[in-house]
Amino acid sequence: METKKVFLTEDEIPRQWYNVLADIKMNPPLGPDGNPVSPDMLAPVFPMNLIEQEVSSERWIDIPEDILRVYTIWRPSPLVRAYALEKALDTPARIYYKYEGVSPPGSHKPNTAVAQAYYNKEFGIKRLTTETGAGQWGSALAFACSQFGLECKVYMVRISFDQKPYRKTMMATWGANCVASPSTETKAGRQILEQNPDTPGSLGIAISEAIEAAVTDESGQTRYSLGSVLNHVMLHQTVIGLEAKKQMEKIGEYPDVIIGCAGGGSNFAGLAFPFVYDKFNGKDIAIHPVEPAACPTMTRAPFAYDHGDTIGMTPLLAMHSLGHTFIPPPMHAGGLRYHGMAPTVSQLIVEGVMEPKAYGQMDTYEAGMLVAKTEGFISAPETNHAIACVIDLARKAKEEGKEKVILFNFSGHGLIDLGAYEQFLAGNLADYEYPAKEIEDAEKVLEQYPKPKIIKSR
Amino acid sequence: MKKSPKNLVRRCPRLGNPVPFHYCEICGDEQQPCFKILDCWWEYFDVVQYLRDNLPEAQFNHLMGARPKPKVASLLELIEKAKTSQDR
Repeated sequence: METKKVFLTEDEIPRQWYNVLADIKMNPPLGPDGNPVSPDMLAPVFPMNLIEQEVSSERWIDIPEDILRVYTIWRPSPLVRAYALEKALDTPARIYYKYEGVSPPGSHKPNTAVAQAYYNKEFGIKRLTTETGAGQWGSALAFACSQFGLECKVYMVRISFDQKPYRKTMMATWGANCVASPSTETKAGRQILEQNPDTPGSLGIAISEAIEAAVTDESGQTRYSLGSVLNHVMLHQTVIGLEAKKQMEKIGEYPDVIIGCAGGGSNFAGLAFPFVYDKFNGKDIAIHPVEPAACPTMTRAPFAYDHGDTIGMTPLLAMHSLGHTFIPPPMHAGGLRYHGMAPTVSQLIVEGVMEPKAYGQMDTYEAGMLVAKTEGFISAPETNHAIACVIDLARKAKEEGKEKVILFNFSGHGLIDLGAYEQFLAGNLADYEYPAKEIEDAEKVLEQYPKPKIIKSR
Repeated sequence: MKKSPKNLVRRCPRLGNPVPFHYCEICGDEQQPCFKILDCWWEYFDVVQYLRDNLPEAQFNHLMGARPKPKVASLLELIEKAKTSQDR
């Protein structure tokens, strides 16, 4: 019988994370005075050991034994050969996926949640706060805190809190205190509730509450936790790619193509960064972060500094973005907003190390449906972006007659996100590709912006 | 007569669950429209024209001209806001 899954033993879990900051040069986030943001400015919300990781340029960072012990609950995660998908596509490509849906909350998120809980505990912190939308990150942090005996407070956006009772039950089962946001427990929450008692809440309000709860705890024993975008989050996720490399080595394979969906960038970076290291060291490998076609911030937008506010009082950060003054014509309104991509991923795109791809939502759901019918797992809607790219490249491999090895990150299952599939199955979705000319117009607007120096790491 | 889009539903990529359009009109800062409202809804209907017709001109222009906030910058703003609020 063909080998479907490749496993590592627990003692083969990587002992170090890979820090891509050792191998790339970054434009630093800038303060209002034009100087870089200093680490201690973040000290009210993060413990110093995590801030040190945030700015570290050490290439390999040891994974503490206590974190490895918790990782063994679901790690090493399996590397799976997608035989049935290959057969359905009639492709010569060999398709593998790293399945992160086996974690207790069902996604890659606990890879960093566990690490963050550990470092906070080491720093003497007793309680973590965070915000969550539908609950994927809140669940991951609740699970992680339960493993280290930390209190966990989750501010869950009211509209999601009401829609997703199982998520709050998951968090409560792990001992976390999840409240609907806005809540009466913070000034920010009370202020909103006074104005509008029936508000459905928002992520912005929930973040405000979580940060206020951390910053105003006079005992100094509360900190805030964030599950995406920041450098230390990307670092912790690299355990995914490091395991995958070992697994592929076991079967004598090496990927030609790496694919991951990229929202904030953490699951993509987790798989891709260890292969970026190989690419820096001479490997010929294509690496594709995948985003919705509706938001072509990576695929087409230029790299520029964006001001945080209109009078330039907040820091500047070099990111992919479209011009703020660009007004879309009617019917061409998509793809105009930055969507919070990790700066490290942005930098690697600028350097040409990665080539972003974009797919329309119909392609992504059709991809998810095909995987469900062939490989069996129902994927999270965000994972479907990666799968759409896999299918596209596997079909191209067939056209070209090439036996490419494709590896993608199956970042989570979609069992608590079936509402999105329901919309697709009901025929309520449609696609639109943003015209290249409109992006060119946006680039002209951006000519007036300060441009970051494009640093090349190699 | 035009149908109102307010009750159209789609998955919110920020929250991860379905939301009606009218939620997107109020879930941004200061209960303004969400900064992703154009990204999310242009596939369904002419959301730009809808907003032009339904928002005061200044608010419409503000939304169209709104600049994204990098995460670190947002965090620093919120830290400062929380400290200020505590001092009052």
